[in-house]
Parts: sequence; structure tokens; C-alpha cells
Amino acid sequence: MLLIEADGKALFRAAGIRTPEGVVVAKGASAPALAGPGPWIVKAQVPVGGRGKAGGVIRCDNEAAVGAALRQLLGARIKGHEVLSCLVETAVRSADEYYLSLMLDPVHYGVRVALLAEGGVEVEQATQAASRIRLCDPDQHAIVAAIRDLASDETDDRQNAIVDTAEKLARLFLTRELMLAEINPLFFDRAACVAGDAKVVVDLNAVHRQGEIATLIERDASAYPDADRKLHDGFDYVEVDPEGEIGLVTTGAGLSMMLIDELTARGGRPLNFCDIRTGQFRGDPTRLMRVLEWIGERPSVKVVLVNIFAGITDLSEFGDLLCTALERTPSIKVPVVARIVGNRFEEARTLLAARRPDNAVEESLDAALARVDAVLRGAKP
Amino acid sequence: MIGELSRNTPVLVQGATGRTGRAHVQRMLAYGTKIVAGISTRAGVEDVEGVPVFQDCKAAVDATGAVASLAMVPPSGVPAAVEDALSAGIRLIVTVAEGIPVHDALRIGRMVRQAGATWVGASTPGLAVPGEMKLGFLPNVSLRPGPLAMMTKSGTLSYEVGYRLASIGLGQSLWVGVGGDPVKGVRFPDLLPLFVRDERTRGIILIGEVGGSEEEEFADALRQANTAKPVYALVAGRGAKEGVAMGHAGALVFGNVGTFESKKTRLEAAGARVFASIEDLVTACRQDHPVK
Repeated sequence: MLLIEADGKALFRAAGIRTPEGVVVAKGASAPALAGPGPWIVKAQVPVGGRGKAGGVIRCDNEAAVGAALRQLLGARIKGHEVLSCLVETAVRSADEYYLSLMLDPVHYGVRVALLAEGGVEVEQATQAASRIRLCDPDQHAIVAAIRDLASDETDDRQNAIVDTAEKLARLFLTRELMLAEINPLFFDRAACVAGDAKVVVDLNAVHRQGEIATLIERDASAYPDADRKLHDGFDYVEVDPEGEIGLVTTGAGLSMMLIDELTARGGRPLNFCDIRTGQFRGDPTRLMRVLEWIGERPSVKVVLVNIFAGITDLSEFGDLLCTALERTPSIKVPVVARIVGNRFEEARTLLAARRPDNAVEESLDAALARVDAVLRGAKP
Repeated sequence: MIGELSRNTPVLVQGATGRTGRAHVQRMLAYGTKIVAGISTRAGVEDVEGVPVFQDCKAAVDATGAVASLAMVPPSGVPAAVEDALSAGIRLIVTVAEGIPVHDALRIGRMVRQAGATWVGASTPGLAVPGEMKLGFLPNVSLRPGPLAMMTKSGTLSYEVGYRLASIGLGQSLWVGVGGDPVKGVRFPDLLPLFVRDERTRGIILIGEVGGSEEEEFADALRQANTAKPVYALVAGRGAKEGVAMGHAGALVFGNVGTFESKKTRLEAAGARVFASIEDLVTACRQDHPVK
């Protein structure tokens, strides 16, 4: 998961890497006290690359401009993400910019380090500049040696500053089990390096043993609603369109993703991605109720589509839990289309027909999608 | 090793005596998998479903000659399980656990590479030679012997595809779930030479996802391979928001890296067909491989 810049920089500072002076301004907060005489840079805190091109980074020469930039960005959407906070930083005056990154290399089971003598490049350009990339073993010594080598044509003071930053970044990358740590641009300013940006991808599967990262996520749960849900509820639910019309109760990441794609291609607006993991229910409807509650909170939802491919799961047991969860979640007032297939389908269909006669049950996915289309057009399921 | 698997391949199951392990041992035995040993650190368990249980892989391999392993242990136990299997000379290890930290996966990958073994996983539903054997969870309802080799990141999406193919009489020659994690063992391009060489295989189905560059690497390998076998692909996650991984840790789009468009373009340029829906893929397979 990509951290927002402010949190990536918090990790950087804890690791001893310098960052510009700055303050985070949340949506709805009053104007901040700004450090220094400016100019400042106002940056939308959304977890995407290319924020500058998408209009999420605004350079401001005076305080009035900062206020205007905050009003413009806070609450706006950038690449699908609502801007809940902005980072206001003192602009670094240096024109000397580098690109520095450490990235896991899944093909070679190593770390790819990249150093380019120009900042602001796109990540894909950086990963294609073969002469500026070294592949090394995932250990501190190898990473630092690679960067020393890449910086060998720099002047001594620059090389020292870059290697010093690289040592800290490598230690952070290895001890915090990061998947990507990118500084772009890395400024060279008065004999030291300053991280102008922070793109840090953390491993949610390692968070249970990475307290510092767990704390970041918990402290700012609104910035990471999906991770927060996963850590607390043990399964995946991602809201993809807050004004979506189709709430999804689905299991399996790949099938859920494909379903979203197919619904979208048919002109539908899915609300969410969901991998509820039916295999972990163990007779408890809680997960189903959690998902139905989240769906029920969105007034735009017109239909709930359940899609369960039961390779092993007993569908009659699932059907029973689904009925119970629906009975206990009064906020779901829209039609429910259940597509279930696999183990003990007939028993499940009989059970659903008896307890939830208004719900449609289908065995074929395409038939269920046609039912969803019909509901969206105003028909009964 | 994957290409040599058959009903005669002796396999062992690590973590065989847990609740899930026991249930799957029973299912795999029923399917035809030759499970010759279970591994469990629990004292006093002598057998599981009639299969003898050993304390470690070395003892099991010495007694039974097992060459492949399925590890059904929790994510934190996978590195040790792989180490145990490799030190016993196991040549193929399938790890089904979801949620292995990527830096652990990095260490596992290096260990397996050094041993010259093959690792399938992590976070895979397993693999199968339909009609012969399976290692893992792949549901019988989706398995059917036939001419199509499948390589898939997702479990459930591949179940759906396999099920629809099977229901029209089309089956699979080989099925390998590579898993949805970013750092893994066998990757799509690694499987291509095997699928091209395999005489049972008449077509290749790739079920990918956004994130990472595995589909692009496969496309590059396909271009080099110069094969007449058609490739049918699905890439799930077109609607994923940048910066947010949907379920699978590997399914993370970042900048222009790992996008649907990048994968579709590269795959199509290499001669693969990328479909917008499951039904379109199934229809194309049916047209190209008529069922007698």
C-alpha cells in the first residue's frame, strides 16, 4: 500500500533523512501558521503518482495564495481519491535535483536501486534508465555500495551527501520491510540532501510486526480506510465509487476485480471491491453484516449483488448466514441478487427462497448480471 | 518438475494434521494425488487419513521417496517449512498460505533458487494435472482433462473460468496458480516454455491482474517463443484506483506501472488475445477448440 507523502516523510525523518519544513492541513481545519517567508508548495495528500500533472501540487509565493490553494485542493478529487489533507511545505530553493529509489525486484529476488541526476522524472522513465540502475542483494552493504557506485561521477560533497541519505534509506527499507522507497526529487541543498517527496509502499502483510507503520495507519485511518478495515476486520473491502449503485458481496480478489470490470463495461457503477473469504466464516455472519452495513451507508446503492463461487464452501451454510445477516441489517432496503454456484446449490436455493422470497437467486453469473441490469432499469429483481 | 507431475508422483503435505490440512489431504487423496507422507510437529500423531505422519521432511523423504511438497502452514511458518523441504531434497514446493510478508518471500525465493528447486506460491490455490492429481484447493467442479493450459494469479477467477469451460466440455492439460503476491516463486513467463513444449496443450489461458509487470514479462517471452499455440488472456482490475491494492498485495497500480492498458497493449502486440469478459474468453476457446 502506498503511504501518503506526509506519512512517508514521517518515516524518513525518523530514519534521519532531512525533509523540508512543513505542516499538514486537514479538510475543515483553520489556516495554518506557516514557517518562513515562503515560497511554499501545497501538495494534495493522495496515494498516487503524478500528482503534479493531475493538478495536486501548487506552488505559492504568498500566504494568500496558500489559502487559495488549500481551498481549491481540500475536498477535491485527484485520480479518484478525495483530498482529505494537504501538506504545506517551504519550497526548497535548490535547483539541483536527483531521483533516488529502492525497489524490490521480484524477478531476481533482490533490490533495484536507481539514481538519476535529474528529479521530477516519472517512475517508469526511471526504471528504464538502465545505466542508472543497479540490481543488488537485499542487504545494507550491497545497496549502499551500489549507490556509491552510481554517484561516483559526482563531486565529493555531493557523493557523500547522497550516500549518507542512501544509507539511511536502505536501513529504513530493510528494517521496515518496504516494497518501494522513492525520493523524487531529492534536493542537494547546502552540502546536504533533502527529500522533496516521499513515495513509500508498505507491506500490509508485515504490519503486524512493524509497529511504527501500524501506528501511522491507525493515527490517520481516514487516509487509509481500506487498510484500516483489513487490519481490523481481517478481509478486504475497498470502496471504488462512493456514489456507486451496485453493492458487492463477493469472495475472491480476482473474481471481484473482474466483476467490477464487467459491471462497469455494461454501464453499471459498482460501489466496492470485496473479498470476504467465505472459507473463514466458521458459522459466523459478522463479516457479512459488516459488508452489508458499509453498503447500507451509501444512499446511492440501488441493488446488492452477491457472488459466491463455492469450490469448497457449503452453499447451504452460506445461504443460511446470508439470510441471518440480511435480517440483522435493516439498512439494506434495496433488492438483493444472489449468484451462487457450487457445493450444495439446490439446498441453498431452497433455503433462500423460503427465508428471503424477494431475493433473486441465480446459478449463472451472466443471468445474475442481467437481473442487476433489470433492477437498475427499475424492474423488480 | 511441473511438467512431469502425474498420479504416480509421490508428494508429502506439510502441516497435514491441522483442521484445514486434514480436510484437504482427504480431498486430494480422493482426487488421485499420491500423498505418501504428512509432516506434523504435533507429538503422537501417527497418520492422517491413512497417510503416515513424520516429524520433518527428511524423515519423510527417506522413508517414502517424496519429491514434491504442499505446505499448508500459516504464513509465519512458511519460511521454515520451505527450508525443511529443501534440506530434504524436495524439488517442487507449493505454498498456499496467504499473507506472507514480501521480505520473507524474498528470502524464500533466494533459498529455493539456490537449491535449484521450484516454488509455486505464495498465496496460490495450488496446481493440478486434471484427471491425474492436484496439489492445493482447486475445486473438482472446475477441473476437467482437456487441451488448455491455465496460468493464473487469482484463485476464484480461475475457478469461474475453469468451471465454465468444464461445463461446455472443455478442460485443462495443466493448471498452475502462481498467486497474487508481488514476490513469488514461479511466474507467468517461467511457465511459457513448459506450456509450449507440453504435447497435451493446444492453447494457453493466462488470467492476470493489474499491478507489477508479470504479464508484460510474459508478453516479451511469448514474442520470443514463436509458438503457434493461441494465448487467451483476462486481466482483472481495470477499474482499480491507482495507489490502492484490491485484495491481492501485488495488484497495485502505481503511476503508469502495472496498468491494464500497459498489459493489454503488450500482450496483444505479442499475439495474445485479451478479453473484456469471462464469457468472451470462454466463447473464443470454444470456437478454437470445438468439443467433439
